[in-house]
Amino acid sequence: MEIQTRDTNDIKVVELIGKLDTNTSPDAETHLNKLIKEGVKKILVNLEKLDYVSSAGLRVLLSTNKQLQSTSGLLRICNLNEVVQEIFDISGFSSIFNVFSTESEALNDF
Amino acid sequence: MEKRQKILIVDDERFNINVLADLLKPNYKIMAAINGKQALKAVQSDSPPDLILLDVMMPEMDGHEVCRKLKADEKTRDIPVIFVTAMGGESDETKGLDIGAVDYITKPISSAIVEARVKTHLSLRQQTRDLQEAKALIEVQKDRMQDELNVAKNIQLSMLPQDFPAYPDHDEFMLHASMEAAREVGGDFYDFFFIDEDHLCVCIGDVSGKGVPAALFMAISKTLIRSRAKNDLSTASILTQVNDEIDATNEAAMFVTVFLAIINIRTGNMLYTNAGHNPPFIKRSNSTLECLGSRHGPVIGAMDGMTYKEDKTLLAKNDLVFLYTDGVTEAFDSESNLFSEKRLADLLSLRKYVSVEDIINSTVSEVNRFQGDAEQADDITVLAIEFLGQPKGKPVQNLIITIRNSFSEIDKVNQRFNTFADYCGIPKTLIQKVNIVFDELLHNIISYAYNDNKEHDIIIELEFSGNRLSIAITDDGIPFNPLEAKKPDTELSLEEREIGGLGIHLVRNLMDKVSYKRQVDKNVISLTKQIQV
Repeated sequence: MEIQTRDTNDIKVVELIGKLDTNTSPDAETHLNKLIKEGVKKILVNLEKLDYVSSAGLRVLLSTNKQLQSTSGLLRICNLNEVVQEIFDISGFSSIFNVFSTESEALNDF
Repeated sequence: MEKRQKILIVDDERFNINVLADLLKPNYKIMAAINGKQALKAVQSDSPPDLILLDVMMPEMDGHEVCRKLKADEKTRDIPVIFVTAMGGESDETKGLDIGAVDYITKPISSAIVEARVKTHLSLRQQTRDLQEAKALIEVQKDRMQDELNVAKNIQLSMLPQDFPAYPDHDEFMLHASMEAAREVGGDFYDFFFIDEDHLCVCIGDVSGKGVPAALFMAISKTLIRSRAKNDLSTASILTQVNDEIDATNEAAMFVTVFLAIINIRTGNMLYTNAGHNPPFIKRSNSTLECLGSRHGPVIGAMDGMTYKEDKTLLAKNDLVFLYTDGVTEAFDSESNLFSEKRLADLLSLRKYVSVEDIINSTVSEVNRFQGDAEQADDITVLAIEFLGQPKGKPVQNLIITIRNSFSEIDKVNQRFNTFADYCGIPKTLIQKVNIVFDELLHNIISYAYNDNKEHDIIIELEFSGNRLSIAITDDGIPFNPLEAKKPDTELSLEEREIGGLGIHLVRNLMDKVSYKRQVDKNVISLTKQIQV
């Protein structure tokens, strides 16, 4: 899996490319934790180029969310494809996370 | 103390009565009558005599007349009558005997002779009574036995599926069977049923022994097989369990030979286990005859704790499997020649048959013809199933992936699966969902199914047919059901621990059917997903 980051104003946009499963989740976790340690408060995870996510990936997102919340930060997620959306629905994560269809919608919500 | 027997003395002269009475009084009870009328009244009493000494020459009604009357009445017919009279000619004797008397004593009487004859005839009378009672008892027992044989036959017949054609809606195979019971039921059975949409289970068996015990044991065996096969696609595993269960309850040391097969009617794969039964034949579509000779364990019910094995063969279109019991091969004719396996093999391979019904009926009539007048010694049971291959337009794709138990191998599975799925035309979204399923399950298995640090193989079998994807994941670890396991990490918060079941939750929702089985020494997870076209 590849991770690309860019900045839009004070929001860190993190693009996850490929798949987020048991093998690739540790990398994502490391990366996101580093951002939080560095003091980033606003993170947008853009999943446009993500093929699918497994429970391991969901755990990473959950953990990131909790850490951000504890520092009064915000996490948003956008551009879920059909499969990822279904995973979020089945797992109930659609109601836990703030999920948006496009990046601009998500950016406006911070 | 034995009851004293009673003798009726009939004579018109008191003097004669007294002579006889004095002679016999010490040993017998005595009744007396001085004419025919009195005599007839005396025998009708509540305690009739056991023997009658009857004078012939009497006025009004003579002895012969009295005797005739006695013999005409059912109630008095069996009381032995001895004529005592002065008339001593042969014709007189014969007449008396003709009328039904048992003996004839001439006057003047000899005490010794009278005593002896009385004793003899009373004894004969008693013996006759005893014999009649014994005969009645035997009749009752015989009827009871006949009833038992009928019960056994009814048990046997009611348990065997007899409705043919068996599955008219299925065009993947044709099946026919027949069981002809011997006079004394021999405990043969056959059975066939669907385990799931793709798997047909077929079995045949022969219980040791005869009669009602054999019929009951047959009923138990057949039912156990059916019930174990509901959740199991391995014949070895089914019979291993059935054997354990039968041995536990079997005090009569009965056993049963079984041949069990599970046929995948989509692919023609046949898995089978032979537990001491006659090896079945396969008549291939090119007319060659094969004998499935391997034995996978002893008869069922003989030894505790046996682990049975299994073998596979592939049925091609028009291959026919022929099952039978030793009632066929061990049928004998009136000269004690055996039908034999060779004759059966010739019968199967040398003739052309138009249908499974034809092959069954021909075999049975051949055995009957061979038997001729000799009595059928054992149940004759045969079952034939012809595999007809795929219904048109439904090709099958298969793939087997074997990996080591290491996390890095999960990618390999997904890569190979993706290629296979593309080839089958499976839509991309489903491919990704299956990738997630593999990720969840394989991660669990690799993490928790092994308690040693050794390398293990995990086998993933895939089949795509009729727009349905079937997956089986087999590992040889400790008994471990990932579908139930919760992550044991207690340092996680409650929220995080709940996620432990999340992966399995996803799996259950992404696939149509998910199930786990422990098969002998392996864990098997089965999944299916139907694609909506």
